[in-house]
Amino acid sequence: MRIQFISALAICVAFWTGGGPASADTPVTYTDNGRALFSFSVPDFWALRTGGPREIEDTELGDPRAVARVMGLRPVTDDSAWMGFVSPVGVASIDDGLRYLQDIDKFLVKDPTVTGTSTTRIGGLPARVIRGTGMRERRGVNFTATVIDLPNGRVAVAVAILRDGADPAYVDDLNAVFASFRSLQ
Amino acid sequence: MTRKLIKRAVLALGLGAASLTLSACDGVTVGVGYGYDPFYDSMLWNDYYHDVNVDIDIDRPDRPRPPDGRPPARPVPPIAKPPNRPPVSRPPNRPRPPVARPPVARPPIHRPAGRR
Repeated sequence: MRIQFISALAICVAFWTGGGPASADTPVTYTDNGRALFSFSVPDFWALRTGGPREIEDTELGDPRAVARVMGLRPVTDDSAWMGFVSPVGVASIDDGLRYLQDIDKFLVKDPTVTGTSTTRIGGLPARVIRGTGMRERRGVNFTATVIDLPNGRVAVAVAILRDGADPAYVDDLNAVFASFRSLQ
Repeated sequence: MTRKLIKRAVLALGLGAASLTLSACDGVTVGVGYGYDPFYDSMLWNDYYHDVNVDIDIDRPDRPRPPDGRPPARPVPPIAKPPNRPPVSRPPNRPRPPVARPPVARPPIHRPAGRR
């Protein structure tokens, strides 16, 4: 099953620049300080969590740090698929974005194993895609982490996660979100 | 006949209005909602700004470095600890007077007592 998911994701990644199935119908705009950075569409019957800029603190180190807006998407009645977008402040290039990903992947999944990386274009913009597997709460997960190079020195980091046993139809939904990605600058 | 018809119509309309009013109290939401969301919380957390030193919180001064070397030895407290002594010998066991003891198992609080 896992191999099927990976291959399905891989095949669909190749078609990201083309149109995916039209199951992503609600456009959403990611803004930072009132500036629209990019937009994507939320699939039908998915829930969007918008978040916002804030500061969180490590209770052990007493070290507050700023966090950019994180937008999370998941099916309304299921938690086996998840997708998140963030455009971190001060991360200007794809290489910086990859380093940013390295610093968050240990929180997202345990024991991550990268199964493949590729360079592609998403929404007409250069992007780097990292696919892999890992564990989270004793369940295997497939993850697809993407760094998309936005104009004006910003990147968009998108992470799509499918837990083992998830409905394969979610792959289409996730790819539809990528297909709807557009820069707004 | 007409009276009966009007009565029935009023009853039917009233019941319909009542069922609509009652059903309005019920929510239409279906699903699990946003409860525990581990991936969202994880994506908030990152160590990136530790390594790159981006000026994203401008107002905060740099953290001072901790002093090098080992911390100094702790001073000896002015009041010395009492030396370990053997415990004072206990008095010999005596027969104890009979004392009323609380019941072993008390009925739990907040429970209505049975009828007596």
